[in-house]
Amino acid sequence: MSKVQEQMPTLIMGAGLIIYGLIAKSGALLSMTKVLHTHKTLDLQVTMTLVLGCIAIAGALLNTTRKSGATNLDTFVLRPLGGIILILVMAMAIRWYAEPVMKLISKALQPTLGFKIYKVLNLNYVVLGILSGVLLTNTWGIPKFAAEGVKCARFVLKMGVIMLGARYSFAELAKLGVYSVFLVGFFVLGTVFLVLWLGNLFKQPKTMTGVLAAGMGVCGVSATVAVAPVVKAKSAEMAYTIGTILSFGIICMFVFPTIGKLAGMSPVQFGAWAGTGILNSAQVAAAALAFNAVDIETLKVAEIFNITRVLFLPVIVLVLATWFGKETGQKLSFKSVVIDKFPVFIIGFLLLFFMSSMGLFSPPSHYKGKYIDVSYNDRSQVTPEEWEVLNSAMTAGEFSGLTETQLEAVTNLVEQRQIAGNYEDRSNKKAFDHVGRARMTQLQGILAAAKAKQVKLSGDVKAAIKHAVKQVKKKSKTVVTLTDFMIWFFAFGLIGLGMQITKKAITQAGGWPIVMGVISGITKATLSFFVVLWLVKDVVLN
Amino acid sequence: MFNHVLLCTHGTDGAKRAEAFIFGKLEANPELKVTVLTVLDEDWRQMTGDDWLNSSKTQTTFLDHVENQMDEEIAEDWQRIKTSHPVAERATFLQKTGNIAETITTTAKDLGCDLIVLGPWCKSKKFSIHSTRVGLKATLKNKELHPLLPCPLLIVS
Repeated sequence: MSKVQEQMPTLIMGAGLIIYGLIAKSGALLSMTKVLHTHKTLDLQVTMTLVLGCIAIAGALLNTTRKSGATNLDTFVLRPLGGIILILVMAMAIRWYAEPVMKLISKALQPTLGFKIYKVLNLNYVVLGILSGVLLTNTWGIPKFAAEGVKCARFVLKMGVIMLGARYSFAELAKLGVYSVFLVGFFVLGTVFLVLWLGNLFKQPKTMTGVLAAGMGVCGVSATVAVAPVVKAKSAEMAYTIGTILSFGIICMFVFPTIGKLAGMSPVQFGAWAGTGILNSAQVAAAALAFNAVDIETLKVAEIFNITRVLFLPVIVLVLATWFGKETGQKLSFKSVVIDKFPVFIIGFLLLFFMSSMGLFSPPSHYKGKYIDVSYNDRSQVTPEEWEVLNSAMTAGEFSGLTETQLEAVTNLVEQRQIAGNYEDRSNKKAFDHVGRARMTQLQGILAAAKAKQVKLSGDVKAAIKHAVKQVKKKSKTVVTLTDFMIWFFAFGLIGLGMQITKKAITQAGGWPIVMGVISGITKATLSFFVVLWLVKDVVLN
Repeated sequence: MFNHVLLCTHGTDGAKRAEAFIFGKLEANPELKVTVLTVLDEDWRQMTGDDWLNSSKTQTTFLDHVENQMDEEIAEDWQRIKTSHPVAERATFLQKTGNIAETITTTAKDLGCDLIVLGPWCKSKKFSIHSTRVGLKATLKNKELHPLLPCPLLIVS
């Protein structure tokens, strides 16, 4: 195959992106995007597609004319480019088209079905991204030109977690850290010992129970991969364990958010439960974003639990190595067991956290590092549930006691789903910003009036307005930019990881690993659910 | 009738039937050349699933462990064959890694085999508690294997 043929898919994707960007820039997509409620992202769509299209074409041309070597440019940019562009195209298509279409279909089917499929199955861009990755890899397979790029997903997801570090304060990390160390410590060690006990009860080989204990207790496949060489697991034991963990994890990814919503869990409680009960750490991130994809509160909590769990991994490897070594006389060095298994990206996460806490991303002019940002941003929106509360209250005439300007602010909040200026004025930043801030002031006035009992509003309505006001109080521009990138990094990483979940690996589930895995997994998920509801109260998240 | 047989085995019950049949023939016909082929499924590389936390070093260590483990298990299986069928000492044993259908047919072609022998297709016991079969569960698919065959295929049932 000639080099031009090899690069053809990347060239076609690049050209397609540029054509799309130009069509979007001309305004031809405005009416369609308004139907899909994605018109506020049109400027972003134009910028992203044009920039990526140019990069794709330039990279593909460079790959065609240049002899591929072992340089960093080849290894980290040119060879993975096709796969990176493919995943980004999928991510954009899902965020701007698949998810909104899913919402519309779900809404249309609601009268017939009696429920919204979108809500029950949590089919937001994160879950759709993973599913599309799984679907692609198990039907057509990963295209050859994209194979190198798909491998970048792991690195990109780690970058997402590192960027998330900038979103925590000392108080949050301290409070969440204490919760996570106790909960994760108890459930990780508890599950490890439960599986070891079950292995003993069912008279299963230590090599199998060791590898299953790590997988079910700590962080799924990652722990299995880390522990298998230490306990000298046999091939069938590894295959059956990994299959069991992958299957159980995928089920949890869909079931957890639905149960969390039915049980009325808060973002903090759900984050804590997902971070403790779901096996694979990628699926924890997916479930957290599935529970609440509008802002990142749940993700923030879940990732702290995830990170704590990952920090337990070297400890568990050490415990299992000692336990296994006792039987076999095998001796392993501290370096090979603990140091080599330490997840280095956590240092990056902590570095961003310290830089953010030291105020490096926030100019002194920003009061307490925050400022008002009424520009269009998905994360400034109220949640779909809050929007429905406000919309129903509006229809029911609950806002009749408000002044004309207050009513206009609420009406606009329902229309735009966030506090913002007028859509038509978005190119005039000053006027847009002025109107948006004025609406925020009016909404704050409504909350004050409700508190003084001058107007009567339900608790849900007050909570929705309060959340809308909170959503526009942003941290510094640098932190907001980091968060925007982080969301795309998570979407990219999770689509790429979805591509690595094969039917072959999932159908390996079986044998004793599935019996012991299901017993320990359900026990852990159920107990952690009740403990989280009982123990974890809301932590104020910024 | 046949001069060089490629016997593909991975130690399952079905494969054992194929072994017994071919080594019976080898005893009867000392001129027959038999190559025993065991393929290490390349899909083992996908068994790291959605692991993203581990460093590439840890993943390489895992894949090296899988390879060493499979080597050991294959060596044990070959020893079992030699113990069960002493005539197997005259056979050539070969281990290869790759896509199973492609590896079998390419090897048969490269070695100039005139017959490929397999055990019968096993019924998949996806959720059986007591059976943890050797290696990966995936089995050969006719539609993948048949178009690639360079010589006749014999399934010993």
